[in-house]
Amino acid sequence: MISVSDVHVTFNPGTPVETRALRGLSLDIPAGEFVTVIGSNGAGKSTMLGVLSGEVFPDTGRIAIDEQDVTRWPTPKRAPLVARVFQDPMAGTCEGLTIEENMALAWSRGHRRGLGRAVTNDLRDIFREKLALLGLGLENRLGDRMGLLSGGQRQAITLVMATLNPMKILLLDEHTAALDPKTAAFVMDLTDRIVQDGKLTTLMVTHSMRQALDHGHRTVMLHEGRVVLDVAGSERKGMKVEDLLHMFEKVRGQQIDDDALLLG
Amino acid sequence: MLKLAQKAVAAALLAALPFTAQAADKSVKVTSIVEHPALDATRDGIRDELEAQGFKAGEGLRWEYQSAQGDTGTAAQIARKFVGDRADVIVAIATPSAQAAVAAARGSIPVVFSAVTDPVAARLVKSWEEPGGNVTGVSDALPLERHLDLAQEILPDLKRLGVLFNPGEVNSVSTVASLKEAAGARGIQVVEGSAPDTNSVLGAARSLVGRVDAIYIPTDNTVVSALEAVVKVGQDSKLPVLAADTASVPRGAIAAVGFDYYDVGRQTGKIVAEILRGKPAGEIPVQGIETVTLSVNPASAERMGVTLPEAVLSRAEVVQ
Amino acid sequence: MSLIAFLGAIETGLLFGLVALGVFLSFRVLNFPDLTVDGSLPLGAAVAATLIVLGWNPWIATAMAMLGGAMAGLVTAWLNVRLKILHLLASILTMIALYSVNLRIMGRPNQPLLGEETVFTPLEAFGLPFYVTSLILFFVVALVIKLMLDWFLSSQIGLAMRATGANARMARAQGVRTEAMVLLGMALSNALVALAGALFAQAQGGADVSMGVGVIVVGLAAVIMGEAVMSTRVIILATLACVIGSILYRLAVALALNADFIGLQAQDLKLITALLVVIAMTLPGMRGKFLKRVKA
Repeated sequence: MISVSDVHVTFNPGTPVETRALRGLSLDIPAGEFVTVIGSNGAGKSTMLGVLSGEVFPDTGRIAIDEQDVTRWPTPKRAPLVARVFQDPMAGTCEGLTIEENMALAWSRGHRRGLGRAVTNDLRDIFREKLALLGLGLENRLGDRMGLLSGGQRQAITLVMATLNPMKILLLDEHTAALDPKTAAFVMDLTDRIVQDGKLTTLMVTHSMRQALDHGHRTVMLHEGRVVLDVAGSERKGMKVEDLLHMFEKVRGQQIDDDALLLG
Repeated sequence: MLKLAQKAVAAALLAALPFTAQAADKSVKVTSIVEHPALDATRDGIRDELEAQGFKAGEGLRWEYQSAQGDTGTAAQIARKFVGDRADVIVAIATPSAQAAVAAARGSIPVVFSAVTDPVAARLVKSWEEPGGNVTGVSDALPLERHLDLAQEILPDLKRLGVLFNPGEVNSVSTVASLKEAAGARGIQVVEGSAPDTNSVLGAARSLVGRVDAIYIPTDNTVVSALEAVVKVGQDSKLPVLAADTASVPRGAIAAVGFDYYDVGRQTGKIVAEILRGKPAGEIPVQGIETVTLSVNPASAERMGVTLPEAVLSRAEVVQ
Repeated sequence: MSLIAFLGAIETGLLFGLVALGVFLSFRVLNFPDLTVDGSLPLGAAVAATLIVLGWNPWIATAMAMLGGAMAGLVTAWLNVRLKILHLLASILTMIALYSVNLRIMGRPNQPLLGEETVFTPLEAFGLPFYVTSLILFFVVALVIKLMLDWFLSSQIGLAMRATGANARMARAQGVRTEAMVLLGMALSNALVALAGALFAQAQGGADVSMGVGVIVVGLAAVIMGEAVMSTRVIILATLACVIGSILYRLAVALALNADFIGLQAQDLKLITALLVVIAMTLPGMRGKFLKRVKA
């Protein structure tokens, strides 16, 4: 169970570039649920991921993972609980290191690192096995530098890396946005497979309303740093992108009306 | 780049193969840690003196000069090269180069150092009188005794001598320590005035007023930079100001016994010539500064309430 | 070139290979441009020389010198990760401060070791010429350090350190405490440089406050020369390249000292070094651009 309660984040407070990124964000994700998140630019999607991963500390509010308060835990301390795939394929791996070295890094997530060999033959066997499931032939390229791989290959490996160790939540940050449509579809299929197989609690941020509705169990829409729409179950099942758009317009319109009332 | 490096390796190996045979000519190999006006003047003095003694570069003398460009690694390599070349004499200018040369030569080749302030403390030689170990040379320690001679000649009643210096300058600290010893032997008390930066020189000079009979300025970069402030205090309080370098005299110090690094080089050259003629280096005592120049400023002296004795004026270079 | 000069170049190259390995750790592994080394080399020399003169065992004195270097590296890293001072500036601050510290340690600008018992003394008992004994010692030290570094960099902690320099955000997401890695790496790097300083002072006849000037550029030049002449794809080759590069650099110096035939002199070396570093520093960027163009 992941619980975000009334989180506020303001960047550059008291300056002309002050940005109120999150304004009372609350969201509970039960274990095993796959939530997709949509919202326009500046809605607070990235900040929400930052707050969950420990890259951004909230000004007020609370983040709890399985009842444990992790609000002020920095990223490395939170790493055993949180796995993450970034939008930029370059960001999730080290291009100067080899495939096996990158995987060995992920292998140690949540474990104490020592002076033992990082990449052993036993580990190589495990990595080969995991990579073979991708069907990309990467299991024969363990010693290749990550920088030699395409964006799709890198995202696929990052997904595998995320699942090498148990986690409480998997954060997917528009992880197919930088890929061509075909590769994006492959990575998305892979995502569904991995999430289902592992029954992973997942939060996927996406730009595509289609993607948001086609995958996962529940869709959440952020606007101005808050959850403004939360659909699941049968309501969500029959939904089309147009419906979502319509609801979005309605929410926005309401908000403008609210603001007008306040101003009036 | 790759090819260049390969060429460099190949050339180095080729060059290393015929371990060069030496001709019958005498060879003098000179190294200094870095290029610097004083060190370069020393080198020129050595070359000119050798020429005057009949060892002319290119005519019976193989002369080589290498600067380490401030890189200690290169200094070590130059020393190794000179030893490998079986030089007749290695001349090392300044302490780090001298230590590198002595460490590389290990007594097998005579080493003559120059412009080394304290060769005993630098472990280059055992003592000034009997250096031993195939090493000797010329020290550029300030001729403090001569400075005190001059001070007493101008001020026969000198009892308390103020010294202005920056305690952060290592050379000044050791100079002041030596000065205290030398002055103490003459019954002169040394009073320290410390100026950690140029802005505090004036205050330090004023603090000496009434407590000393004269002010002495060593070759301290900080105090010499702000010399005018000291001269002003001297003139206002009728306190004579003496300096350790002649360049300070036109700026208002009343007198100084100074030396020129070119002369230090000439003196070093004499020692090198002796060794080339067959004298073992270890038997030649280490020398201090011999050639000095006396410079006086009578006008400034008058404003500080001092009349320079005729004896001083007659042998000095007078500046206005 | 005489045999002594040739072996001298190899020896100096091996010794400065330690500096190159230290620079490799900071610049390449941690991506931390560290100028502390200009101060930690004379620091190592100063600590070792002072302790040896006080009668300490030269090996223990050398170990203490490494400890001193590690502390210097820690200070720079701490200024950067805790006080958030820009890495380059943080290292310059430590370097400047070390000048005073080194003077304090020695009590004077130069601490001679001529005639003292050093790590070379026991080797001299074998009756070999000094230019062979010191060469052997430096070879063994450089080899041992290289192998230890290889082992460290392929360990779990070492991999975490490499990830810290390559992609700190990713490393943190994988649970790597990147700040601790910077502290550890900088300590190791400067300990290696201080070790070079300590051994150099013992071979060279003394420690001098001015002996660190420009060490960073020489170290960087060695790293870059090594990368230029051989593949550095895997760690064991990358560390070997540092030592090879350093030896090549010293051979180039030796050549310049002997090379009337190509018109090169020792005084030209700094210019050549600077040019080399500029070329090599822009090379990876150009290579990256080239790769992008090929992809596009």
